[in-house]
Amino acid sequence: MEKMTRQEIIKTVNDALIKEFELKPEQMKPEANFFSDLGLDSLDAVDMVIVLEQAFKAKLRANYEVGKILTLNDLYDYIEQLMNNA
Amino acid sequence: MGNENRVVITGLGAVSPFGLGRALLAKNMLEHKSSVKFNPTLAAIKDLTSHVSSTVEEIDFSFIPRRFRRSMSKMSLYAYAAVKEALESANIEKPDEKTALFLGSTISSMQTWVDFSQKYISGEFDTVKTSVVFQVMNNSPLANISQSFDLKGPGFGSSTACATSLTNIGLAYLGIKSGFISQAIAGGTDEYHPIMTVCFAIMNAAASRYNSQAELASRPFDINRDGIVCGEGCGIIILESLQSALKRNAKIYGEIIGFGTNTETASISHPSKECIANCMKLALENAKLTPSDIDFVNAHATSTIAGDIEEAQAVGELFGGQVLVNSLKGHIGHTMAASGSLELIACLDMLEREEFAPTLNLCEVDPKCSCINLFKENKKVKVNTFIKNSFALGGTNCCLIVRRY
Repeated sequence: MEKMTRQEIIKTVNDALIKEFELKPEQMKPEANFFSDLGLDSLDAVDMVIVLEQAFKAKLRANYEVGKILTLNDLYDYIEQLMNNA
Repeated sequence: MGNENRVVITGLGAVSPFGLGRALLAKNMLEHKSSVKFNPTLAAIKDLTSHVSSTVEEIDFSFIPRRFRRSMSKMSLYAYAAVKEALESANIEKPDEKTALFLGSTISSMQTWVDFSQKYISGEFDTVKTSVVFQVMNNSPLANISQSFDLKGPGFGSSTACATSLTNIGLAYLGIKSGFISQAIAGGTDEYHPIMTVCFAIMNAAASRYNSQAELASRPFDINRDGIVCGEGCGIIILESLQSALKRNAKIYGEIIGFGTNTETASISHPSKECIANCMKLALENAKLTPSDIDFVNAHATSTIAGDIEEAQAVGELFGGQVLVNSLKGHIGHTMAASGSLELIACLDMLEREEFAPTLNLCEVDPKCSCINLFKENKKVKVNTFIKNSFALGGTNCCLIVRRY
């Protein structure tokens, strides 16, 4: 996985999710919960992994911790951690 | 049976190769317009000689909420728009939860299957999104429309190839007539893919003669016809019991009074005049009518050499040479699962206008089809009772009888 700055990770995640789920940029607050704030559901959660794998060109789903990610900030942290451990 | 319900049509919605909206159908047909176009994708397919199709131009479907739209291929997008229009025309803001849905297609989304298969074959199935699963299911339009319009009643997705929409409307009619349901949304929907044309070309039944003058390619009953022009779209009808319609003071577009259906077993591909005639007789019996009660026939006639002759001869033998007959596939080609309902919608509009379009591109009637009363100019006529035919590859025949209310 190619190393990125925190800001680059945030931009890549947000761009991918805004496009896939037709979200508005102002909705992309770090504390936003995928389900209660962004209106996504369990099918979207599966598709989100696919979209992010394509955006980061890396496998993300093998890690069981994916299920613990509930907010955008959780997601940024998770991806940053994966990069640091790569 | 004294306790049977009368069944009326109270809503109509269409997405056709003429565009979004039912009003475009009869209007363009009465202006003798064709939606058939040259298709460069077909021309680029090696050894394929049919280069024409009748497709829906780009429509912006972003008005459909994403959570519903994500699992829709084109056929469900068309169905959503047609159902929305049908409900609006029926003055139904939100359908009753018990409303039944009868909706099918000939096959599920071919484009989605092609894309999915390519990923599967190349070992990339894990890049396929969940929404694809809901687009390749055979019941995809039924599922998508039930979810989007919150229809909690019975859902039936009959798929009888080119007779799909008339099968669904016929079953809805029987359901309301018997009292099992009181209101239904019914029809058929399909999306075009070049493989459709390839399928008919394999059977030597795709139009090839007029590639450079595409608007002339679909020409039912004409001596120079040479096959089907494949198309797409969706036609949706709202049916309800007369009691229900009167109670809510609904506009009534027509009354369905008879339905007949049977299956050709002499051939999986060729309908016979005997079986077609029997099907029309079944519809007449169901309506408690005799042939002389019918004053218009809207034929299935797809512009194939064999099919048009069998239907013309069946109609001629049963109704004689006086009753007016047209086929609307000269205008819009064969819209597959949508053909029965789209053509029915056009006929209902023409019934109201008291003016019927002729079969487009009928220049010289095939002598083998000359036993029926085909016409070449718009016909100003007050039709009271007409029969709508739909026949399918595989053998399903359907005939529906509709009366002015």
